[in-house]
Amino acid sequence: MGSSIESSFVQQLQEHQNLIHKICRLYTNNEDAHKDLFQEITIQLWKAFPQFRGDSKFTTWAYRVALNTAITLYRKKTRTINTIEFDSTLHKVNQEEYNYEEEEHIKLLYQAVHQLNDIEKALVFMYLEDKDYTEIAETLGISEVNARVKMNRIKGKLKKILNP
Amino acid sequence: MDELDKLKSSWKKEENTYPKFSEKDIYAMLHKKSSSIVKWILIISIAEFVFWISLSFLLKDSPNARNMQTLNIDYITTPMSIISNGIILYFVYIFYMRYKKISVTDDAKTLMQNILKTRKAVSVYIFVNIAYSVLSAIIIVIVIFNTDAGLNTLVHQAEDNGNKLLFYLVAFIFSIIILGIFILVMWLFYRLIYGLLLKRLYKNFEELKKIDF
Repeated sequence: MGSSIESSFVQQLQEHQNLIHKICRLYTNNEDAHKDLFQEITIQLWKAFPQFRGDSKFTTWAYRVALNTAITLYRKKTRTINTIEFDSTLHKVNQEEYNYEEEEHIKLLYQAVHQLNDIEKALVFMYLEDKDYTEIAETLGISEVNARVKMNRIKGKLKKILNP
Repeated sequence: MDELDKLKSSWKKEENTYPKFSEKDIYAMLHKKSSSIVKWILIISIAEFVFWISLSFLLKDSPNARNMQTLNIDYITTPMSIISNGIILYFVYIFYMRYKKISVTDDAKTLMQNILKTRKAVSVYIFVNIAYSVLSAIIIVIVIFNTDAGLNTLVHQAEDNGNKLLFYLVAFIFSIIILGIFILVMWLFYRLIYGLLLKRLYKNFEELKKIDF
């Protein structure tokens, strides 16, 4: 299908594709936009793959490229549509694991996160991924202290959105 | 437990609900065209360089330029064209060096800074070019006024009729209007192209700067 480098890249990406889906989950709110961003991240990862020397984990390297694509490089092609439509179709969480009330609450939480700006979403994404503040700060190019301060402000902002 | 921690527990459970792309799907994606803003900046910037360089070549062959050759003012036009080519080479080099520095593996702030710096190299080139064109036009008009026989006759006629001041004033206002229209069109073009392309990037860059203030 392609060169050995290409197939090694495709294999690793296929294995770790959830990482990209998660970013698309926060930055898009319909299926077309999700696929569009996924594709752009894949292209950027492939273009940057020669710089990946394997001294770090594929996922650690891919996080940065994927986030940079979502925040900086990506040009939205499709217009966003109602968040609820997407939340209830593409990412329906297993009914057995949640009761209806919890599911509704999670849906509201996602809608609140979608109202944040691109940088705030990046912080939220890394927080949800259990990244420490050193890595968050390094990925965004800000100081660790300011990353913490901003994270606390985001929590406050979400609370305000959810309880106006 | 705050709101984000509640979301975190759901986030982890969602792992197996995402769509799964096959290797074949991913192969297909690799060969699709990128819509990255860096790609667009590169295309637009090259188009701008090509536009200005071709314009200078086209103007060289224009009837006005051929008329100017009869005036024997090479001592002015030759150094001016050397400076103009030097400006182009300098900015193409700066643009290329900055473009090479853009790396998607840098931190977000550095990446944004490098993109904006690359873009700025072309903007500065355009403005230097416009300023240089205006300056060149002024120098050439002055030289032509002093050397062109036909124009000298017109100035003398105006002088004899007592309209010398009016003659210069009309020429000046006419030049200002032409220049004004030109600058307005350029400004609108920039607002439109780069407003659309870089609006989001500027917003995110400002947000990062605000966090680190």
